[in-house]
Amino acid sequence: MTTLEVRDLTKSFRKLRAVDGVSFTLTAGRTVALVGASGSGKSTVARMIAHLVRPTSGEILLAGPDGEPVPRRAYRDHVQMIFQDPFASLNPFHTVEHHLARPLRLHGHSRADTAAEVIRLLERVSLTPDFARRRPHELSGGQRQRVAIARALAPGAKVIVADEPVSMLDVSIRLGVLKLLSRLQQEENLAVLYITHDLATARHFSDEVLVMHQGRIVERGPADEVLVRPADPYTRRLAAAAPRPEARFGPGGLT
Amino acid sequence: MGYHLRKLAFYLVALWAAVTLNFVVPRMMPGNPVDILMAKLQQRGGTVDPGARKAYETLLGTGGRDSVLHEYFAYLGNLARGDLGISVSAFPAKVSDVIGDALPWTVVLVGLATLLSFLLGVGLGAVVGWKRGTWLDALVPATTVLSAVPYFWLALILVAVLSSGLGWFPLNGGYDVVLDPGWSAEFIGSALYHGALPALTIVISSIGGWLLGMRNMMVSAMSEDYVLTARAKGLTDSRIMVRYAARNAVLPSVAGFAISLGFVVSGSIVTEQVFSYPGIGSKLLQAVQNNDYALMQGIFLVITIAVLGANLVVDLLYGLIDARTRDRSTVS
Amino acid sequence: MTFSGKLGAGLGLAGFIVLFGLLGPLLTGDPATIRDVGLTAPGGEHLLGTTLTGQDVLAQLAHATRGSLWIGVLVGVMATVLSGIFGIAGAYAGGVVDEAFSLFSNVMLVIPGLPLVIVVAGFVPADRRGTWTIALVLAITGWAAAARVLRAQTLSLRNRDYVAAARVSGERTWRVICVEILPNLLPVLASQFVFAVVLAILSEAGLSFLGLGAANSSTLGTMLYYAQNGFALQREAWWWFVPPGLVIALFGGALALINFSIDEIVNPRLRDRARRERDVVAIDAEIAPAEPGAVLTVRNLNVVYQAATPVHAVKDVSLTLRRGEILGLAGESGCGKTTLAYAINRLHRPPAEVTSGSVRFSDVDVLALGPEKLREFRWVKLSMVFQGAMNSLNPVTPIRAQLQDVLRTHRPDMSTLDRNARCAEVLRLVGVDPVRLGAYPHELSGGMRQRVMIAMALLLDPQVMIMDEPTTALDVLVQREILNEIKRLRDELGFAVIFITHDLPLLLELSDRIAVMRDGEVVEHATAEEIYLRPQHPYTRQLLASFPSLTGEAGALTR
Repeated sequence: MTTLEVRDLTKSFRKLRAVDGVSFTLTAGRTVALVGASGSGKSTVARMIAHLVRPTSGEILLAGPDGEPVPRRAYRDHVQMIFQDPFASLNPFHTVEHHLARPLRLHGHSRADTAAEVIRLLERVSLTPDFARRRPHELSGGQRQRVAIARALAPGAKVIVADEPVSMLDVSIRLGVLKLLSRLQQEENLAVLYITHDLATARHFSDEVLVMHQGRIVERGPADEVLVRPADPYTRRLAAAAPRPEARFGPGGLT
Repeated sequence: MGYHLRKLAFYLVALWAAVTLNFVVPRMMPGNPVDILMAKLQQRGGTVDPGARKAYETLLGTGGRDSVLHEYFAYLGNLARGDLGISVSAFPAKVSDVIGDALPWTVVLVGLATLLSFLLGVGLGAVVGWKRGTWLDALVPATTVLSAVPYFWLALILVAVLSSGLGWFPLNGGYDVVLDPGWSAEFIGSALYHGALPALTIVISSIGGWLLGMRNMMVSAMSEDYVLTARAKGLTDSRIMVRYAARNAVLPSVAGFAISLGFVVSGSIVTEQVFSYPGIGSKLLQAVQNNDYALMQGIFLVITIAVLGANLVVDLLYGLIDARTRDRSTVS
Repeated sequence: MTFSGKLGAGLGLAGFIVLFGLLGPLLTGDPATIRDVGLTAPGGEHLLGTTLTGQDVLAQLAHATRGSLWIGVLVGVMATVLSGIFGIAGAYAGGVVDEAFSLFSNVMLVIPGLPLVIVVAGFVPADRRGTWTIALVLAITGWAAAARVLRAQTLSLRNRDYVAAARVSGERTWRVICVEILPNLLPVLASQFVFAVVLAILSEAGLSFLGLGAANSSTLGTMLYYAQNGFALQREAWWWFVPPGLVIALFGGALALINFSIDEIVNPRLRDRARRERDVVAIDAEIAPAEPGAVLTVRNLNVVYQAATPVHAVKDVSLTLRRGEILGLAGESGCGKTTLAYAINRLHRPPAEVTSGSVRFSDVDVLALGPEKLREFRWVKLSMVFQGAMNSLNPVTPIRAQLQDVLRTHRPDMSTLDRNARCAEVLRLVGVDPVRLGAYPHELSGGMRQRVMIAMALLLDPQVMIMDEPTTALDVLVQREILNEIKRLRDELGFAVIFITHDLPLLLELSDRIAVMRDGEVVEHATAEEIYLRPQHPYTRQLLASFPSLTGEAGALTR
């Protein structure tokens, strides 16, 4: 079973300790939410796991499906990332096809079966095959993020780091994208790290929650426990800060 | 490191690079410049004493007799003492004296013309940008073409039309030769009269660049949120234009001063040639035509130092008008 | 001139000159043939006359154009390659390499080019100065400015997420640079190449004019050199010295026009735009009477973006803002909520136009105000707080100046002392220490800047404040503090608020009444309680369902 273990991860930028001794484990079939305000260091954690930023100290250990450690050059076959801003994470110069075909080619697909595989990837994220020819500027935010998800799935990765995958999207399509991620996670038995500042979606879409504040994890546990009955004062303040119309009018007509 | 210190350090590095370049160039070139120089000197009837030869060798290379490092330090030592050698074309005058005579002409001409062109260009650019969509937009392609005109050719045209044709300005020179140089009103008046056309050439050729750059930045600045806020605040148009839009739009023009100054100085050298202006550009050409290597190198150094100095001043000024640079920790 | 007009004129002119340089020499005969006719004016056999030695000027011009273009292209290619190496590669590598390359480029940039070229040319004997030597020297002294531009551009591109995404996919470095970064640099690269060509032609012309050009070469500069030495000016032989310069000027101008168009492609804001005469096309002559207690009444307001295909951004919107109430305006991006807010204060920019409707502020017909009256109305009666507080404050002046110019403009009689006191007072109201008056915007945190914006909006005690996503860019905790601050100030000072956001739960908690907008229309307009408990419109329901509750039953959404 694919497992990614993060041990005592630390990153310093000059004097600032952006990430300070963070440890956790991602296992197949589970979603871990990393919750925190901007500047808490949660995106730096994502970038370290994606091998975009080198940790100052600490370890990232990846075990493949057979339980054996994965060699460094094969790391990217197993770990992929979804970025926050779908308007920035797709290259405006290239077609959707390029964005999906490249990772396929890099991870062992022959030229011959790439085209068919691109279409299969598009279908998995509920996009029609004709999207392959389009360029990013012809797509809506939600469509772009679906392409970004497909790109992350292309190498056949089993660990997905999703860095605020819906915060730049319009509110009415956010849940749709999150549901898609959740469905794929269950179908493919993925290990997902869901990074967000939104406590509510963290609660609904994850099994375990880690609350991060100033580079440290201040509270962790099952999603329901941490967010509904927070113990740490910072988590409590976060939970209290979210708008709560039900406190004003009682339970609403819809929920 | 503070902003000012960092800038100072950068210009010291640039100065060192220029001085070293000046040392390296003659040694990399084919032929033996010292022999050419000595031959020239003999033609002019100068005495070729061993001391003179040694001085030139320090500047231009001994052809492998002394170690390069030894030559380099001797060269730096001479520079530190302000000793740039003896000019051949103006034998037996010292290079430093030749430069000293010519430099004020160029500094005043190029300095005033550049300042005028910058102020006019930036001011006009701000107005053209602010009044976008009016007839003023036609100025943009016009100045675009103007900025591509070679300085010296414009100078030729101006002389042909305004001096030869209409007789409004003198054909060439820096002052009326019948006058003695000095601080008399008559002499200064004559110098201004003679300098008008070269200055006009520089202003016309360089104004387009400032205007266009400022106009484009102005247009960008006008769609910034702080200009929208200023409008929402009900401020007067003139206040929004000057304090909000232009104040921000001018920053890149100031930051890009270094690049532009290089062009202006280059253009001025050739312009001086057209007007036979008694400045440093004409002297540089005179030096090149006469294989006066010592003078050539001295002038290159002086021009470089002047440009570096001007840029340093502008950079320090930039620190004053944009508070953000003082807190930033990026390199130059 | 229009956008495509500039590009067309530039391409046409440049193309013509290039063709002249390529084909002209084949048609015009030998430029060196000496004839016994001496200096002759244009006409007859010699379209552009002859030189002092009877050589045909047109033939010389054709050959010279070819020579200058050749030098220009040579130098352009070499300089662009150099600037690419030092600008792009350095910036992508980052770290020490970037610092070193950048320092080197900057040093090369501040050392004046032409004097250096003249010195180098002076050391090389005339017979050894070939075209390639001159081109090389010009390229070496001319690449630095482009490298600086390319570096800045590359630095911004290399931090884009799509570059990170390519790296995460496992792309090799050279592929990331060549396939992901370089195509996006093409417009800049093209513009730098064009610039390098023009610069090279100009520099070479200057050099040749001084007699320091390549030996045996024939360029526009050498032509001018011979014209000058043949006293063309004194002999009034304008046909000799005008054409070569004109070719340089026209070619440079043409390339500059092309460059200008490239700039406009990269930065659409620079494109020509017709100036709008009026922001309001038609207003309803008769204004519907306001409800009692209403401070701001919007009736059937329509705003249209007059593009090639007009976009109807605000459709028939009617709103009533009562004294002291908070009216929430909810909607997603592109629904027209910001356009509506700007139109109320007539801040909408062209090509947006108010095509019909009315905006009434107490007794004032806002759409009918003349420019000066409108200016006096703004901020006194109605102030605004915008989303990006970083960008809403002028970055180059301290916040004191930005608070004070409101008072200077609208309260010209106020003494300096009173002005300072008022500025300090409003800052205290929003919980900012008045010592911060001397601070520049970049020295304040995001939350602090938004507080300063709110303080600024309070300066003149307006009756209405429009807040456009004032807390969206802020952290949850800071957002909570600012919201509490707004509620407290509203209760203390009694102004009315139009609060615009996509965050419906926030509005449900904060507002008295809510208008939900979609596609330019208000689809539902009711009290917060009604919207929350009994949403009528399907879109309102959809929006409400988009925000899962933190305390509700878990797992309901994922299944």
